[in-house]
Amino acid sequence: MSQVIIHANSNGGVSVTVPTGELPINEVLVKDCPAGAIIVDDSTLPQGSDAQFFDAWELSGSTVTVNFEKAKAIKLAQFNAKAVEEAQKRQLNTLAGIDNAVNDADFTASLTAGRASIANATTTAELVAI
Amino acid sequence: MAGTIVCDVISDGAGNSTATDNAIYGSAKAWVSYKGTSTQSIYASYNVSSVTYNTTGYYTINYTNAFSDANYCVVATCSKEGSTLIAIANTNNSSARVAPTTSATALSLQQYNGSAGDTAYVYVAVFR
Repeated sequence: MSQVIIHANSNGGVSVTVPTGELPINEVLVKDCPAGAIIVDDSTLPQGSDAQFFDAWELSGSTVTVNFEKAKAIKLAQFNAKAVEEAQKRQLNTLAGIDNAVNDADFTASLTAGRASIANATTTAELVAI
Repeated sequence: MAGTIVCDVISDGAGNSTATDNAIYGSAKAWVSYKGTSTQSIYASYNVSSVTYNTTGYYTINYTNAFSDANYCVVATCSKEGSTLIAIANTNNSSARVAPTTSATALSLQQYNGSAGDTAYVYVAVFR
């Protein structure tokens, strides 16, 4: 079990400062972190699928939680970025216009299904599986 | 044990030598290799006290001993994670420039399209 330092950041998220071990963590707290930062065991940070949505972490007291609506928004952005990549790939592969991908019924159906799955997800584990 | 050796040239006694300045100014004054994902981990470091994970792919490298000025040279790279990532010093996750300080450097990892990314292996070395 290791200790890290956490504090709320200006993005509304949580910054995690990990000491390298060159200095005692109490010195790192004073030297590298803003006032109000606290030392916690890293085992108290979100684990598993929750850990994959770092930008959705929020600090409440000394507890880090995952804002699920933020996690869904992050997943949707990732999903849409992949969809754009896939559309571009199909255009390159077929040497046809971008309409080729847009008009691909299977492709658009998979996008609709994926976005619906994200909207209906109730856990971060479900989001990761999409 | 304390002591100082003053010389202009360092030699291995086998015909190989270099100006002492090369060792002084050409060696990294700080370096760190770390895991850049939200399951944070530091692999190894020298003159780096901590790494702060701010948001995905946006870090602050904090130095154990501050530099005399902020005119140091940062070299950074990272492993690929799905998309190819590039390490960009003195830049935050909004692609805005962040001025270096004597005690810390901002580092972001971005895909070619400017979106942030993170990866298991990030390497940073600093020369001055």
